[in-house]
Amino acid sequence: MKEFELGPDEHVVLQARKHWFLFLTELLPYAIFAIVPFALPKLLALAPPFAPYAAFFDYTSITGRALLGVWLLVTWTSAWGAFTRYFLNAWVLTNQRIATIKQRTFFVREVSSLLLPRVQDVTTNVAGVIPSLLGIGDIKVQSAGAEVEFTMRGIPHPEQMRDVILKYVSAEPEKVTVV
Amino acid sequence: MPDQPLQPFAPPTALFEKLNLSSIISPAAAVEWALYAVFAFWAIYTLVAIYHWLKYSHASWLAFPAMGVHIFISLCLMSYALSGNGLFLAPFLP
Repeated sequence: MKEFELGPDEHVVLQARKHWFLFLTELLPYAIFAIVPFALPKLLALAPPFAPYAAFFDYTSITGRALLGVWLLVTWTSAWGAFTRYFLNAWVLTNQRIATIKQRTFFVREVSSLLLPRVQDVTTNVAGVIPSLLGIGDIKVQSAGAEVEFTMRGIPHPEQMRDVILKYVSAEPEKVTVV
Repeated sequence: MPDQPLQPFAPPTALFEKLNLSSIISPAAAVEWALYAVFAFWAIYTLVAIYHWLKYSHASWLAFPAMGVHIFISLCLMSYALSGNGLFLAPFLP
């Protein structure tokens, strides 16, 4: 991580990203886009009024093949871009602070830190059947200053994350100098 | 609402002739240049994404495999679009 320099006695305890299931749901539109050129001719052939249009999806011709290749290339590149943004969004817990890194789009990046001694309350929220089964939830970290509030959404096992945060909040305050 | 069945419309094969563009550029050349434009856009997008990977995730073991897989699959798809040879993707492509 180059977003912030770790202090002399500081080390990374854990990093968290959005749950893989939520990432897969983000990939779903791209998967549908990738399937469309293959499924559409078959679906058109099933509906007699539209059956003649199925002939337009001729991927043996040079133009049809080029269009299919471009379609798949754009879909693949977009999906890879989504993976890049997923990976670059992270929460980092060190023994002295919590840092949130938000890569909203390319070239739009936000990095915020909250010193652990300022943490006043940590709340977890798991709502819904699938989140409960897969252990997906939110964590809200509130600081002593009411203006600062960190929220991690859709992270795996928020209770474990909360316990780790609270462990370091209670263990390290005397070692940290608040600037 | 007409009760006539839908008729397939003819693809614009004569579009270039109607617009008198065939004397300027051939359809094959137009497709080729369109592909180059798409590939140029892909290259810029990929460079931007790789810049972010290298700048912010250089310490991750996943950075280089992610970039390598993206470039490899993209090159296969480009090869398919240009020549019909999808390399290792060939079994999955028509």
